[in-house]
Amino acid sequence: MSSETLFRRITDSRHRPDPYPLYAELREAGGVARQESGAYLVGTYHEINALLHDPRVSSDLRNRTEPDPGLLVPEGLPPAFIGIDDPEHDRLRRLTMRQFGPPCSPGRVDALHEEMEGIAEELADGLAGRDRVDLVDDFAFPLPVTVICRLLGVPHEDVQKLHTWADTVVASLDFAPGEDPEPRRRAAQEARMTMGTYLGELAGERRGSPAGDMLSGLVNDEGPEGRLTDLELMVTTVLLLIAGHETTVNLITNGMLTLLRHPGELERLRAHPELMPGAVEELLRYEPPVQMLPQRTALADIEIAGVTIPRGVPLILVLASGNRDPLRFPEPDRFDPTRSDNQHFGFGSGIHNCFGAPLARLETQIALTTLLRRLDTPRLLEDPPEYRNSPVLRGPRHLPVALT
Amino acid sequence: MRVVVDLNRCQGYAQCAFLAPRVFELHGDEALLYTPAVPAEQHERVLRAAAACPVQAIVVGEQAGAAGVR
Repeated sequence: MSSETLFRRITDSRHRPDPYPLYAELREAGGVARQESGAYLVGTYHEINALLHDPRVSSDLRNRTEPDPGLLVPEGLPPAFIGIDDPEHDRLRRLTMRQFGPPCSPGRVDALHEEMEGIAEELADGLAGRDRVDLVDDFAFPLPVTVICRLLGVPHEDVQKLHTWADTVVASLDFAPGEDPEPRRRAAQEARMTMGTYLGELAGERRGSPAGDMLSGLVNDEGPEGRLTDLELMVTTVLLLIAGHETTVNLITNGMLTLLRHPGELERLRAHPELMPGAVEELLRYEPPVQMLPQRTALADIEIAGVTIPRGVPLILVLASGNRDPLRFPEPDRFDPTRSDNQHFGFGSGIHNCFGAPLARLETQIALTTLLRRLDTPRLLEDPPEYRNSPVLRGPRHLPVALT
Repeated sequence: MRVVVDLNRCQGYAQCAFLAPRVFELHGDEALLYTPAVPAEQHERVLRAAAACPVQAIVVGEQAGAAGVR
């Protein structure tokens, strides 16, 4: 089949359980392939890496020659730092990082360690004694959601509400060929706005009475570069909430699915939990929750791998394909928790590398270690399980597992 | 336990400074300072930090002496 139809095939939900043969086809077609829509797919490691570090590649959809129709909705919030370029991206990311990590808040994630273990333990208590559980609804979903809400300072009783909004936003990332994307986009813009208004009001309540959470820090701390404006705060916290919510769920679920498919490795990790940090890195390579970055655009004609990517067209970097590139990783289709030299794209690379990566790493290490310790004989009940629709944020909708 | 960071590789992703903040410290946005002799209670954190380094710049263990880094 023609490499021009690869994107259509990758986004087809029939290929969701196993998109990897399509990625191999992309790499064999030279790694850079023009699509029938005019977009360009990139799927080889070194080319993706070069583009992620190339200042001529923009994350701002406003740089597309044919503007994304979703951008024309006047009532929508402006893009968050994930969707803009330096120097503005850098300013917003740094102001936000002041409240999350080093150099200003180096202990923020580390301080959550024991609490995360406690939440994981409590969720595992809820699995005990049951014949059959859904590892998504009963474990992988509530853990990161509880943690991100706790980190930001969202009260527990509002968590469900935020989840519903976050789901609506993420649904707009789905590609359903032949379907009019407009209603979904509009619903997503509305959900972002509602969520932003909620978070803005919550932050307003913390102004002058800080409660030790990130929202309090964002409204009260005045650094050398000032503070986020009210609108910037809304947009940024919506991003953190959604990103902290929809990706780690898939990392944990893909992780358990992969371990259940590799019982030898599962037993090894159960016996040697000190191998878990490396195993999570391998999961980020082997089954990354973010399969591709569909939002990039070339700011100039860029020549790469003998192909010229024209200025202004959509540029889609297929991270999960780069992660399986045999020119970079020996035996790339083998899951090897002790793999060395594992510089994967699970969290992207370059200036937009995942903001929440250290939190996601720790949550997943804790989640998987707890599950292996607490579940004696877990068994997959459906393989492959039913997947969520998105080809970008890919993961099972449910993961039914038998415990007896 | 000894630890060495190859500062030619380090690109300031700061994953180590999140995961083992008592051993790895950022000064300003990119300058990394660290404690080469790791106290016992920090071993687990340092192993997490080394695994997390996106450019694999952290060498841990007894081999992390002068010969550990090329």
